[in-house]
Amino acid sequence: MPRLRHSFRDGPAFDAFLVLLALGYLLVLSAFPLVYNLILSFQDVDLFTLASFDRPFVGWRNYAEVLGALVAPGIFANTALFVALSLLFQVTIGFGLALLFDLRFPGARWLRGLFLAGWIMPGLVVGAVWSWILAGDFGVLNHLLRTLGMIDGRIFWLSDPDMALYSVIIANVWLGIPFNMILLSVGLAAIPDDLYEAAALDGATRLQRFRTITLPLMRAQLGAVIALGVIFTLQQFDLFAALTQGGPSNASNVLQYWSWQMSFQEYRIGHGAVVSVLMILFVVLVAAVYVRSTRQDHAV
Amino acid sequence: MTEPQIELHGIQKHYGAFHALRDVSLTVPAGRFVALVGPSGCGKSTLLRVLAGLETIAAGRIRIAGRDVTHLPPRLRDLAMVFQSYALYPHLTVEQNLTYALRLRGVPRAECRRRAEEIAAITGLQSLLGRYPRELSGGQRQRVAMGRAIIREPRAFLFDEPLSNLDAALRVQMRSEIRKLHDRLGATSVYVTHDQIEAMTMADTVVVMRAGRIEQEGPPLALYDRPANRFVAGFIGSPAMNFLPGEIAPDGRHVRLALPGDPVLALGSRRLDAGRQVTVGLRPEHLVPAEDGSGQMTLSVALVEQTGSASMLVTATDPALTVAVARRLDLRPGDPIRLSVDPSCIHLFDSVTEQALSPEVMC
Repeated sequence: MPRLRHSFRDGPAFDAFLVLLALGYLLVLSAFPLVYNLILSFQDVDLFTLASFDRPFVGWRNYAEVLGALVAPGIFANTALFVALSLLFQVTIGFGLALLFDLRFPGARWLRGLFLAGWIMPGLVVGAVWSWILAGDFGVLNHLLRTLGMIDGRIFWLSDPDMALYSVIIANVWLGIPFNMILLSVGLAAIPDDLYEAAALDGATRLQRFRTITLPLMRAQLGAVIALGVIFTLQQFDLFAALTQGGPSNASNVLQYWSWQMSFQEYRIGHGAVVSVLMILFVVLVAAVYVRSTRQDHAV
Repeated sequence: MTEPQIELHGIQKHYGAFHALRDVSLTVPAGRFVALVGPSGCGKSTLLRVLAGLETIAAGRIRIAGRDVTHLPPRLRDLAMVFQSYALYPHLTVEQNLTYALRLRGVPRAECRRRAEEIAAITGLQSLLGRYPRELSGGQRQRVAMGRAIIREPRAFLFDEPLSNLDAALRVQMRSEIRKLHDRLGATSVYVTHDQIEAMTMADTVVVMRAGRIEQEGPPLALYDRPANRFVAGFIGSPAMNFLPGEIAPDGRHVRLALPGDPVLALGSRRLDAGRQVTVGLRPEHLVPAEDGSGQMTLSVALVEQTGSASMLVTATDPALTVAVARRLDLRPGDPIRLSVDPSCIHLFDSVTEQALSPEVMC
């Protein structure tokens, strides 16, 4: 008996306990919802069958219905555009700011810290702030553009079908820049100064140093912010809820918001689950590419 | 061979309130190997970086091969530098590291390949061209850094403490390799080190710096034999010179040492003001144990270190004297020892200004 107690305190039994604890957490809180979601996507679920496990399996019917829906092509295209443009501007502007703060001017560290203020705000708050900025009648953005003489009338950023998606993208880019900047700043700080000095003595101009030293050595960090950016952008929900609710008439709707609409507004839970499953597959693919690309990385 | 390759005139450098270089002027003739040496913070690395163009200066001119480069960026100065950390490009192979500068200049691929192989043969890197820096040992990285410098055939080589990250045995080996390479290439080199042995063994000219100023420059043995001041005397030589207070005797031709028994040493042909307070400098190897009971002072031994071929003694006096003898001595702590000094081996410094008095002494 004391032996068992010892084993549990400091031995194989304790190790097993730790492993089971972690596995149990994963099973209950990660694996179960994932598998349950997968099962839902093959079942006919409505409000009446929601509470029971005994639901008719319908094979690929939910998938066919979701992919065949009239709005599906538009929403897929919106999602692709939302992810691509958000990432493009988040990463380039974030990288640009990281390079700026890497010049170490007076107060650089302090100012860089302030940039994080936007990132730590809740998405719904950011959405509310941007809905005021973007408001068609009295928004600051329209006022600014008109004062500068860039537009004559008003742009109805949130209710114009041609503008709605771009409005959310603008807000999302703003939200994502600090995260990109901080992660890339850390990467830039890890590049030793003497590499740049050696390159300068070797005859490299500032641009050549950026191209032959900075970019290759930032490969891993850039890969990380792009992969994480894809994942975060596909998780972006609050801004759509706060700004456009996917409207007008799905002009700014994206997969993650559509999935929520189907599941929790229209109670077509099987259809909502299909969209989640497709997004999970895509994110896993992105993560796999990221892990592969960092494995070949050359550590400094 | 003797026209100046590098000329520095009146260089001033500040880091905020810290005056890093104070009116430094230095001329390096073509083909010369010059070592900048001094304690940390003396400005030697700063001077090298100023020369490379990595630091701006408040005043002064820099000329390389007759061309004023004071306001040119590093890439237009045509200098190669070997860094203390080697600063190899971690994402490039050895061959790509070697040819980086050539590829920037648009040298064709085949020519780059040929030059890389040539340099690899000189530096012993033939089998390592495809490796990445992280796959190399410290000595191999050092060689890549050297190869990357010589492949460009620059106007001069700058070395910033290149051996300080190597272990002692490899350091001694690389010391002679660097010097051989310098001679073989007929290069002009400026070499920064805090290690005076490195400076003494490698350089044609040693420049001793302290607190942003050049204290003395000259051939290694000239600095050893005729230090211009107490600082240089103490910095050059290992074990370091002994210093003790003394007073010139009434006849002006002897000095009385502040040691037990008030020993008096003859100064040879030198004559100084009677009663003058001086600092006497005696190198450990110039304190010679007297066999036959002669000798000028009798001191008590505090410590004996035997290395097999040589002995080192420390005397039980204040200040303690170090005595180096190139043979074995059968002495124990507490034993008395009689020592004598050749008059021409006595260094004298003004006790206030610390400048050498009658530095013509030769030993």
